[in-house]
Amino acid sequence: MNHKPIDILLTGASGFLGHYILAELLVHPHVRCRVLLRNPVAENLARLERLLIDVGVNLPAMMANKRVTVVQGELPNSLGSLDVDGVDLIIHSAGNTAFNATGSGEPSRTNVDGTRAMLSLATNAGIRRFVYVSTAYVCGEQVGHLPEAFYPTMPPVRNNYERSKWEAEALVWNWSTSTRTATICRPSILFGDSQTGRATTAKGLHLVAKATEILARAANDGSEAHRHHIPLRILGRSDATCNVVPVDWAARQIATITLTSTTEPSVHHITNPDPPTHQEVKEWLEKYFDIAGGQFSDASWPLRDSNHYEDLFYSLGNICLDYFRNGLTFESQCSANIPAGKRLIDQEAFFQSISYAQATNWFRSPYKMNKADDLEQRSDAFSSKWYFESFLPRVVPRSAITRVSELTTIVRYTITGPEGGSWICRFDSGQLKETQAAPSALKPEFEFRLSHEDLVEIAAGRKPMQDIFLSGCAEILGNVEQAMKMVPIIGALLKEFPVTDVENSAVKC
Amino acid sequence: MLTETLTTEENVIEERVRILGRNRTLEGVLTYPTGRATCSVLIAGPHPFLGGDIRNNVVATLSKSLASQGAVVLTFNYGGVGRSEGGPTDWPAVMSEFWKHGTFKEEQGWAEDTDSAIFALRQWCASPPVLVGYSFGCWTIVNCLRKEKFQSIVLISPNHKQHMFTPLCICSAPLLLIHSDNDFTCSECETKAWFDSVREPKTRIQLPAGEHFFRGHEAEVASTVAKFLWPQDANSEA
Repeated sequence: MNHKPIDILLTGASGFLGHYILAELLVHPHVRCRVLLRNPVAENLARLERLLIDVGVNLPAMMANKRVTVVQGELPNSLGSLDVDGVDLIIHSAGNTAFNATGSGEPSRTNVDGTRAMLSLATNAGIRRFVYVSTAYVCGEQVGHLPEAFYPTMPPVRNNYERSKWEAEALVWNWSTSTRTATICRPSILFGDSQTGRATTAKGLHLVAKATEILARAANDGSEAHRHHIPLRILGRSDATCNVVPVDWAARQIATITLTSTTEPSVHHITNPDPPTHQEVKEWLEKYFDIAGGQFSDASWPLRDSNHYEDLFYSLGNICLDYFRNGLTFESQCSANIPAGKRLIDQEAFFQSISYAQATNWFRSPYKMNKADDLEQRSDAFSSKWYFESFLPRVVPRSAITRVSELTTIVRYTITGPEGGSWICRFDSGQLKETQAAPSALKPEFEFRLSHEDLVEIAAGRKPMQDIFLSGCAEILGNVEQAMKMVPIIGALLKEFPVTDVENSAVKC
Repeated sequence: MLTETLTTEENVIEERVRILGRNRTLEGVLTYPTGRATCSVLIAGPHPFLGGDIRNNVVATLSKSLASQGAVVLTFNYGGVGRSEGGPTDWPAVMSEFWKHGTFKEEQGWAEDTDSAIFALRQWCASPPVLVGYSFGCWTIVNCLRKEKFQSIVLISPNHKQHMFTPLCICSAPLLLIHSDNDFTCSECETKAWFDSVREPKTRIQLPAGEHFFRGHEAEVASTVAKFLWPQDANSEA
């Protein structure tokens, strides 16, 4: 609480990355933010409030204690009367992500003209620091290990979006003088929140996942064998990588860079040092949607002899596949902030975000997994018997539990209510050896007793297992100490293999 | 990562904060009174594998209750919990060790997290803090006892059979032990015997029927801690 107060003007606050940046800045009690919103302000403020609720920020409370204020304006032309008195620095995160030129002049209008207008505002108001949110892919078609440095000549860009971002970078870089400091942050492709999987738009890898879901639905009409032999050519190489980062992590890096005092112009890659490969993403998607058959191909887009499945898969466009690249890595100081052995995007994070996407109908509706009527509808179709006798025996052998080598115990699960029953599972050295419906000769070491409704909730990943037990909603009988240790083990399994479509008992495995 | 400022009916403000640790950044919640603060309190929660986070019933109740009575209270998530970075890297291996022994080497990282949280609290509030540990948190705070001063130490349901509490002897701050008469981790007799071996000054309060989790008994725990911290208030009320 001994930091000097800092006043920040933020553009793009209601964008996917922007509202995460705002949330990250507000973590610091000495930071006050002015957010630029365009007309209609009331409507856009309400949208921002909804976005911030999802990341735990109470905007009305923040506005009440002056941590956040709203200034009205629109890029690039309507910034004239903006109140920037007292602003210490600007974070310009507003951007347009259209890849091709539109009739309204985008993406250049927002990205280039908008940045020029913000720089002019900064100059006129005597603001000495300007943080610009660019993109790592301003590098265009360059390969190799790219430095954290401004590219003095425009790289061979692949679309108007990359061109506009480089032009904006050039404006920002050249604005810097001995008394003014430009900071350029280059995040790579944004993915869901590392904690919740949350995203707000289906772009990048989410788009590929959505296309795969379409494919899986189409294949569902065929036989099981057919489902695992889908004739799909995947354009690109299996070892290519797609540089994706969790949106909250990217926002945290930008906030940290911004709040670190500097007088030197600088460029920062906010990139993933260990991004998923094309092969990994393929395997994750196959596992998630229970399909297989796709083969990597060096065919080029558009496919002249595409089959039905390829037409379906590529119906959402070929955009993201273009960002699987070979031989491209980024110098990044931010990588040092990643704990050793931790991957920014792994299978668990990937699954979590796809689950979130599905739960929100690919970000078209609010996340409301706890809605009572939803639960009622789902629990009607969910069978405890199916879960213990069919689902668990299938997924446990493929889960991380198998590596908990010391796990040898017998557990009884008693599910109460009309849909309930009692099942006993015997684990030996991490392996689920058998599951029997009670009565059984197996003597359990401990017992979990919970309602059918709670089982549905935890099986679908809507409630952490720990919460059910620690809140007293469920009972633990027998050796409580060992049972308590089993809770996180089962919790990890539920996270790894949630039941995604309870009505149809179809699972993502 | 998030800030949520709430002014509750008890005139308490909650702010989510980020704590810079040695190797990782931790998520914390700073709860403080709208009026004058009289002391600072660090609460370390239960084991992350057993539901230990800042939302824990005992941690959350204590935090709000103590803040409403004048304390600046910091709670935090251990590495790998909630939005705190880090945590065990090889989960199955760690879980295997945990299953067999009830503890594992990497728990030391969570003790270091507690140290970071104490350091953060000391930056915000100069006076020596009260350290409160609940369950596993008792061990993490006792691991942080060094030569520096603490106002007092509160241990709630420590599992003294599982973890070593020998560092208690290097800190002379008044100690309060709160336990229940039916804790599955340690029996009543075991806890009494262990408490007898602990150095003075010390106070032991046994709460009936709280089990280890104190579900439905959180207010009693908070009230017991408050009476220990502010005995003069308890006397004047009486």
